[in-house]
Amino acid sequence: MALEITDQNFQEVVLDSDKPVLVDFWATWCGPCRTIGPIVDELHNELDGQAVIGKVDVDSNSDTPTKYGVRNIPTLLVFKNGEVVDKLVGAVPKSQILEKLQAHM
Amino acid sequence: MDNINQIKLPNNIEFFARQVVEGFITGKHKSPYHGFSVEFAEHRLYNTGESTRHIDWKLFARSDKLFVKRFEEETNLRCQLIIDTSSSMYYPNFDEVTFEKPNKILFSVYASAVLMNIFKKQRDAVGISTFSDEIETHILAKSSNRHHQLIYQELENVLSVNAKLNNRKTSTISALHEIADRISQRSLVFMFTDMISDDNDLEKIFDAIKHLKHKKHEIVLFYVSDVASEHLLEFDNKPYNFIDVESGESIKLNPSHYKKDYLKRIGEFLDILRLKCLQYKIDLVEVDINKGYDQIITSYLLKRQKMF
Repeated sequence: MALEITDQNFQEVVLDSDKPVLVDFWATWCGPCRTIGPIVDELHNELDGQAVIGKVDVDSNSDTPTKYGVRNIPTLLVFKNGEVVDKLVGAVPKSQILEKLQAHM
Repeated sequence: MDNINQIKLPNNIEFFARQVVEGFITGKHKSPYHGFSVEFAEHRLYNTGESTRHIDWKLFARSDKLFVKRFEEETNLRCQLIIDTSSSMYYPNFDEVTFEKPNKILFSVYASAVLMNIFKKQRDAVGISTFSDEIETHILAKSSNRHHQLIYQELENVLSVNAKLNNRKTSTISALHEIADRISQRSLVFMFTDMISDDNDLEKIFDAIKHLKHKKHEIVLFYVSDVASEHLLEFDNKPYNFIDVESGESIKLNPSHYKKDYLKRIGEFLDILRLKCLQYKIDLVEVDINKGYDQIITSYLLKRQKMF
């Protein structure tokens, strides 16, 4: 399972990380989010040690999505050195996510 | 027999195409035709003033959240078949065309018909363009049955041309630019050509292909050739009279004397072609006209899988 990221630990897990971080903004009621959820979990297992993969539930954590202007879910943001370096919106295939992430690894 | 018209071939291209496609699809374990319907892709926050048509009302009822459902762009394909109909495509058999001894144009036409049959099954829109030194036909993509009939008719017309008499040259560059201008909606473009062109500058041909790419079309380039004679120069050890079918020029020589140099040069050409296609993200499929139609269907299905 991918890391559970909250408003409280966002700074520590994402912004202070020295590895690229993929953050999946999702909600339990959103069908497409549930489609890519398992993909994100798979990536977490596959890229263990090379990148940090985590999920933010937008219902219980509203500050972070607002800060990064996330109006669509699912949205995947790639962070590197505390900055957003890539963005994917919607249910996208695994290959596309991996491609984006690997570009920053 | 001089006229390609008089030669006995299955006269119903549509029937032939159906046979090939069904033969290929039967026995494949997983149907490639699942999952192409319009798909729900994401939720977006509702903006005041926006149409309420796509609001997810069930979600609103459950949780008071106003979100709009967004869907993938309609996933029915538009396909454009482009066939080079210059004289060189009528090589190697100008007179006695049969399925055992096809020429490049016969192969391209029947391969197009095979692809069309798949499109038809999926209700994809299909159009066709043919060119030699100018655009000869340009039919925009539609998906109706009548439209398919029109295209089959057009394919039959291509076969009925007597290229030997016509000396039809190729201007790939201008033709492709014009076709790129004419196809307005994003399409999957299948191009059948032997890459033999009057304006024999690969760089410029790729500029034209880039024009198509720039318009966001996906391109599959079927490089059609008779591998034995065109790539491997397999001829008997005796002098031949080679005629350039597009210009009419002829040259007498014994091919075996030049084989080594020829193989080297064709190898270089193929390397550049492959490299350019890779560079511009064009799917290159090297097709040997003697190896059947499965190669066409497989590459199409792979492409489609990659797109969705």
